Amino acid sequence: MSGEHPTRPEDFDLYALGALDDAERKAFESHVASCADCAEKLAAARGRIAILAFAAPPVAPSPGVKETLMRQVIASAEGPGGSLARVKPEPSDGGVFARWWAALLPVATAFALATVLLWLHNEQLNRQLADLRNTIQQQQQELAETRHQADLIAARETLVVPLWSQKGAPEGHGEGHARVLYNAKEGMMTYDGWLPSAPADKSYQLWLVPMNGAPISAGVFNPKNGEMSHMMMKLPAGVTAKEFAVSLEPAGGMPHPTGPMVLVGPIS
Amino acid sequence: MVTAEKRAELKATDASLIDRIVQRDESALAALYDRYSGMLSSVLNRILRDTQAAEEILQDIFYQLWRNAAQFDASRGSLSGWLLVIARNRAISRLRRHNPASGDELSENTVVIASNLESSIARQELMSKVKGALDNLPKEQRAAIELAYFEGLTHSEIAQRTGDPLGTVKTRLRSAVETLKRDLHP
Repeated sequence: MSGEHPTRPEDFDLYALGALDDAERKAFESHVASCADCAEKLAAARGRIAILAFAAPPVAPSPGVKETLMRQVIASAEGPGGSLARVKPEPSDGGVFARWWAALLPVATAFALATVLLWLHNEQLNRQLADLRNTIQQQQQELAETRHQADLIAARETLVVPLWSQKGAPEGHGEGHARVLYNAKEGMMTYDGWLPSAPADKSYQLWLVPMNGAPISAGVFNPKNGEMSHMMMKLPAGVTAKEFAVSLEPAGGMPHPTGPMVLVGPIS
Repeated sequence: MVTAEKRAELKATDASLIDRIVQRDESALAALYDRYSGMLSSVLNRILRDTQAAEEILQDIFYQLWRNAAQFDASRGSLSGWLLVIARNRAISRLRRHNPASGDELSENTVVIASNLESSIARQELMSKVKGALDNLPKEQRAAIELAYFEGLTHSEIAQRTGDPLGTVKTRLRSAVETLKRDLHP
């Protein structure tokens, strides 16, 4: 293929997918590096393949990630020492000025100490400010979700489905309860429930079981000890549900249910 | 109450948020994080099946964006596409324990996505569309696509994993990408 255009249009997608073996891949790369037309086709193929990411079950990152990121960003912007690092002592002229220096040294030391303390205080205030910004953003998001949930509850066609624990559930995971609100017309769904913590290598996964077809993943979650889980998700609109269920799956979830069902809520 | 500032950030384009990051505006990075972290976290967790590793990579990607935002040229490709490609590359490199693939920089990896993914509704609609398109593939084709995309396996490695002849695997993947292209980008 080196020096020639790829023979089939799908070659671009297969390259973007990473499916080509070494020799094919190298030949493809050596051509695309020198062909603007093919580089453009590859950019579009990368986009077509990139969106396959949307097949992954939704998993929200923990709020701590954003908090740590913003701290890292603030620290990098200001840098350790910040303006202090740029403060250089005046060059000494020796002799005549030596006594002046001796006299001014305690003042300069006090001034430097005060500067360091002020910088530390400033750092602390910046961190508090970042925390407050994060808290405000989280609260705004929670409020928006609550409003959406209120609208969902108020809708006439919304189903309220309690989910109950199953007798055959694995030991320690047989106690739990949850409630699902499902609006098929909008494809909106909320989950509120309690379950014991999942084992380290496992996650809980919520499923919508339709009247026809395979179960649809509605989210993966790992509740902390004693805490309620709340989730709101958008599913394909217009799906008639037969029941909702929560299963115990390998960490991160699976495309289809493979583990034991711990909660089930049939639609009566 | 959602403030006017928050509403403005929800409506801001990726390109304008990148411009603000270049001017060292932390709130613009926070807005892009709010917009895309869920999308990236899902694919990272699906590939790695390790929440801690996924969150490390997620944080690292956004920190790289903060440091190198000036390299991004919105006229050449989409930010959401670049984020998805980098997240997948890094997760697969971690999974297969080799160094991150080259072409990781904002200026090197041009990705063009036909849909505008800046609104959460657009992302949710695309999610339904992609899931529907994959559900419509024959079982073997879907499995081959998932092995390539989520596990980073090549034709030969898929053949080895599934025990199917190499030619069969190649045909399946070729048919699968053709069908997906037709269904998702008519």
